[in-house]
Amino acid sequence: MNPAAAAAVQDGTDLASVPLLEAMRVEGKTWENLAPRYGVSNPDPPWKVGLHATCECLAVGDTLPALERRRAEDQLGETIYRGTPAPEQQLLALAHIMLRRGLLSEDALAERMAVVRSRLEAR
Amino acid sequence: MQQPHDHDHGDHGHEHDHGHDHGHDHRAAPMVEEITDFEVLEIAVRELAIEKGLFTAEDHRVFTEWAEQIGPAAGSRLVAKAWVDPAFKARVLSDAVAACAEIGVDWKEPTGSGTPSDYMNLRVLEDTPTLHHVIVCTLCSCYPRPLLGHSPYWYRSPNYRRRLVRWPRQVLTEFGLNLPSNVEIRVEDSNQKCRFMVLPLRPAGTDGWTEQRLAEIVTRDVMIGVALPRADRKSDDVRPVHKARRPVEHAGQPVAAAQ
Repeated sequence: MNPAAAAAVQDGTDLASVPLLEAMRVEGKTWENLAPRYGVSNPDPPWKVGLHATCECLAVGDTLPALERRRAEDQLGETIYRGTPAPEQQLLALAHIMLRRGLLSEDALAERMAVVRSRLEAR
Repeated sequence: MQQPHDHDHGDHGHEHDHGHDHGHDHRAAPMVEEITDFEVLEIAVRELAIEKGLFTAEDHRVFTEWAEQIGPAAGSRLVAKAWVDPAFKARVLSDAVAACAEIGVDWKEPTGSGTPSDYMNLRVLEDTPTLHHVIVCTLCSCYPRPLLGHSPYWYRSPNYRRRLVRWPRQVLTEFGLNLPSNVEIRVEDSNQKCRFMVLPLRPAGTDGWTEQRLAEIVTRDVMIGVALPRADRKSDDVRPVHKARRPVEHAGQPVAAAQ
């Protein structure tokens, strides 16, 4: 691996797509697409504030410093997540960066998403 | 790990029908009746980070609570200080982020007066007697949150975002701000990289006021640019009450509010 590619992996901006996230991007069930369908006028998805809080919590203690995250978000937003609306793009980028930095594993994330979904759908 | 705010789809700020009898008929606000992978991903990332010990659920809750209640007090202090201290004003206009640090707002610091996901490029727009600034974010809802807190709902509405850039004078009129025709209106469009805030003209009738007293009249809307500061209008004024011009009568007597 050349030094530039190694650095990209290191800071989380490695542009190889993550299948789990890529599937979400392609599916495109963004708030912007869904809200009008249900007559909802809130311009932001309710989870946006939770995403921001997660970003801030990661910045405290330098697990993922804000400036590094923003730079990585920019690079990913201009490339593989280009065209996805802002909150979803930021969320995909954050997950991407955390996966590439080893803060999360793709298997664990997929498993947890299944658990969360079943919890939210529980009746 | 069930958290009470995990599953919240609808419009905030609306009354929902929870099946209680409130004495009048509520209809539930519409909700997005489907759980998307994005919503699921946000929760999954957060929970895994918490389990990994990167932060605690309490940390997260505190940030969320703070993010939803921060107000414009810091911006008010900045404006008031700029009004009484010309050297500070010069620093505000030349390097606003550095000037913010002087009033205790560090844009690099996520706690206290910091903010989630704001970029550290702030420009403060100085009004003059013939130039009035107003800010908008036509793309989404970019806003100088470390200084002004959360944006008001209307700031995020398509109505404001689309129309302000095309018909600023008309839109300002809708806020009750009628500017003379010799005052140029300049709309600054915030974006992912740059935040703006308005430094309004100091109003008449405030000579000799302290910074603290001046800060009280610098309201949120003044710093967005949809209002002008007035010596007789404070941000913490009690909610205005408008008395009816033709009050209803009760049992042949005017009701108390109309007297």
